[in-house]
Amino acid sequence: MYAAASGMAAQQTNLEVIADNLANADVAGFKQVAASFIDVNAGGTLGLGTASSGKHPIFSQGKLEHSGGPFDVAIDGNGFFRVERAGTHAYTRNGEFSRAADGSLRNADGWALRDLRIPADARSVHVAADGRVTIDGDAGPNRSIGRLRLATFAAPEALRPLGGTVFAATYESGPEHRIDPGQGGPTIAFGMLERSNVSIVESMMQILTAQRAYEANAKGVQAADEMQRIANNLNRG
Amino acid sequence: MDGMDWMASAMRAAQTQLETATHNLANVASDGFRRVRSTLALTPRGLVASESQDGAQGGIRQTGRPLDLALIGPGQFRVGNVATRDGAFVRDRDGYLADRQGRRVAGIGGPIRLADDAVIGPDGVIRNGAVIAGRLPLPTGTTVRSGALESSGVDAIGETLAVLTAQRASETAQKTLVAIDQTRDKAVNDVARLK
Repeated sequence: MYAAASGMAAQQTNLEVIADNLANADVAGFKQVAASFIDVNAGGTLGLGTASSGKHPIFSQGKLEHSGGPFDVAIDGNGFFRVERAGTHAYTRNGEFSRAADGSLRNADGWALRDLRIPADARSVHVAADGRVTIDGDAGPNRSIGRLRLATFAAPEALRPLGGTVFAATYESGPEHRIDPGQGGPTIAFGMLERSNVSIVESMMQILTAQRAYEANAKGVQAADEMQRIANNLNRG
Repeated sequence: MDGMDWMASAMRAAQTQLETATHNLANVASDGFRRVRSTLALTPRGLVASESQDGAQGGIRQTGRPLDLALIGPGQFRVGNVATRDGAFVRDRDGYLADRQGRRVAGIGGPIRLADDAVIGPDGVIRNGAVIAGRLPLPTGTTVRSGALESSGVDAIGETLAVLTAQRASETAQKTLVAIDQTRDKAVNDVARLK
């Protein structure tokens, strides 16, 4: 009975993860999460059901799409934008930024791109594929104001989600390696956004499978209960 | 062994079969899981259910992540001190091939360090560019598919049937047991009654 109940709990977790993916299918830079499960054995062959072995993001590339936003950037390739909020450093692939009063570029949750300030006189901003940022301002066109650098990790799967599309480094992920875009590595696509890598069709299929598996496990619980009732009825005839 | 013992052993066997089926069902989403097979045998001690590992290959599911490895054929990965067919691996912070709990995958001659351009070949040889970084200890004839995982070998419909069959078998044995008991009741209490 407990094995079947652990199967129900596992499918419940699975469904929650898929539902969360679907809810974020339209969020730029969102990375789908997968839950994985392992069997639980106590010595002998006969096991004790299943247990979750954790949830982890899948960092496959999302499709790039023209957005037309004046500060929108997307990464074509691996790596993360380096952002900070209230002194906390974090990483994201969501490049939907807007200009704040202090000249920093912030996303909707207030995470600002590190090491980049847009001067007050800037009328338009351009980001090249190699991350170099230029502005047209009072001091003339094409003035260089800095370079967008990206962070990569030895083990990006071990990054800790801070909610939404933002991740923090952990001991297991290793420290950030700063890289310059271009040079055969990832490039920056300006005026584009990376769509989430959630496939709605695939998620719906996963929901159906998880639901059926949940029901099958519920049958197992019922049957175990029924067999205990049968055994209890032995003395009544 | 009389009829009652036989039926009691049948109920115990049905219980074991149910436990096996529910364990399988619970692991319908565990990658690399091999279903446990339960076989009934008639022994001098009654009906006995025994478990064994089913060797059937699970379905291969494409994931596109190059460090997801599926084994085609027998054999297992050695991760820490456990053997598993779940090949959902990642690179750890020091660049070694590891599972998601951070346990390193054993190659022949130690853990395997991956460069950025590491490629895992179907023969289980891991190459960093042209340099061989390691080799997975696999039986001859087993191949490795990179970018795929072996799905659980459990067939949910088959296991649900096994659950229902076990339940009915238990019911049948219980009914028979009660019938034997009633016969004895008659023999002891009615046949010998004096009017």
